[in-house]
Amino acid sequence: MIITHVRGHSALRERDEDLDTSWFSQLDPRVKIVGVFSFVVVAALLTRPEGVTIALTAAIALAAASRVSAKRLIVAYAAAFPFVALASASIFLFSGWDRGLTMLARTSSCVIPLLVLALGTETFDLFSGLRRLKVPGMITTLLMLTFRFLLLLSDELERMKVSRQARGFRGGRSLLDRYGLRVLSFTAGMVLVRASARADRVYEGLRCKAFRKDMIPWRTSSVRSRDMAFLACLAIVAGVLAAVQYEVLF
Amino acid sequence: MRGLTYKYEDGTMALRDVDLSIERGEKVAIVGPNGAGKSTLLNLVAGFRMPFSGRVLIEGRELNHENADELRSEVGLVFQDPEDQIFMPTVEEDVAFGPRNLGLDDIDARVTRALRSAGIEGLAKRRPHRLSYGMKKRVAIAGTLAMDPKMLLMDEPTSGLDPKARSELIKLLRDMDKTMLIATHDLEAAAEIVDRAVVLNVSVVMEGTMSDIVMSKKVLQDAGLELPPVSKLFDAMGRMGYPVDSLPVSMDQAVAELTRVIDREAKRTSELRGPGNPRSDRKSRQSDARGNGD
Repeated sequence: MIITHVRGHSALRERDEDLDTSWFSQLDPRVKIVGVFSFVVVAALLTRPEGVTIALTAAIALAAASRVSAKRLIVAYAAAFPFVALASASIFLFSGWDRGLTMLARTSSCVIPLLVLALGTETFDLFSGLRRLKVPGMITTLLMLTFRFLLLLSDELERMKVSRQARGFRGGRSLLDRYGLRVLSFTAGMVLVRASARADRVYEGLRCKAFRKDMIPWRTSSVRSRDMAFLACLAIVAGVLAAVQYEVLF
Repeated sequence: MRGLTYKYEDGTMALRDVDLSIERGEKVAIVGPNGAGKSTLLNLVAGFRMPFSGRVLIEGRELNHENADELRSEVGLVFQDPEDQIFMPTVEEDVAFGPRNLGLDDIDARVTRALRSAGIEGLAKRRPHRLSYGMKKRVAIAGTLAMDPKMLLMDEPTSGLDPKARSELIKLLRDMDKTMLIATHDLEAAAEIVDRAVVLNVSVVMEGTMSDIVMSKKVLQDAGLELPPVSKLFDAMGRMGYPVDSLPVSMDQAVAELTRVIDREAKRTSELRGPGNPRSDRKSRQSDARGNGD
């Protein structure tokens, strides 16, 4: 309460610490989306190991240059790695280790720029950028509402976790702990029920603000020289990759 | 509202035969215990639910399924929990969200005005989820004000606020020149904000000023409401024999009432002590001494 009180009345003087001011975060979201997706498409079509190596190097260079937090990037990549590894393992088993490794590198060279895009761009900026790129409103609105629902779900999950712990629950760490599993299953059900009730209220809140079916893009920005420079760099890399793929280089 | 009746899906009666009209510019509180139907009433006025019977008329137009979205923009509902109402990543974007959806012009000026009215101009670029609960309430109010509704519906505006944030919000609402319907069980806050109050307990139990309501102890008791601390103090003083005419509900009213009592007593004492009346002077001093002894 004391912290809330103090923060509450000094809020006018505060600034959010997590405001990202890196050059990558300040690029126009449309440029980032177009650039990164174009790079991903080119990287996904590569078959020659030389090209894949260059794509992976370029992806890692982009990650390093973007100044996205290395820790967050590694955590996100670790979360995606089982899916990356699964695809590579199947190729490894049926076509040999060299192809498996190429698949791993190719998938990583696609996943890393996408993670950089997601981590280096505010989520709502991404949706707004997609909408301004003429992605149908139904899709971007669904994405935004889904994102909001996931936040609600995690919020409710956290509350239930704290509530369980506050009442001394320490179970659920073993599959043999039947009582613990029962409590966890009730929690899962309750989280869904509560998140659903809150989602209804959030939707009513949106309707109070005249929301119908489409999130109108609200942020305006223009493509500047640094956006063009970013696109040009990615175009050069894509050109090099295409040249390597068609054996014009190497 | 004319003869509003609403039942929940499980058959529980939420509202029965509620009649209420609010004039333009008037501030009205709906007071009642938990489960009295206050929030349900606000939801009915905002068109989120439709009554089983009865009518809601806004500016003479009857609310129905067809025009609910349109009429809702004329009545801004501020939820009890601002977390449910704030959606966008920054305060100014959240405040601009409603006007943008309505296709209103001059959005930047509207946002600036709404932020100023809510006393949070300095928070425009902040992320709402990083703010305190009280500030989030103000963001939710600003978001509603930016749509320039003809009427504000507020569900428990003071709940969950620390004392300073509560008194700041009360001042903000009191000074705001808007028609308001406030659902609350905070009688003290209601007394400071509204002109008129309705005691609701499924149906309307009583209607009048907050002072009328706190004087009706039976009504309060039946409705499960408790007197505010300052009213309790004056009630106790009255029972002890002090000449209390009315029960103040807010601190301002208490100061006024106390000043009145002191003035009256001082006048009476000076009359009793008047020249050539040694007996009454002595009696008065004795009375004073007894008072000091108390």
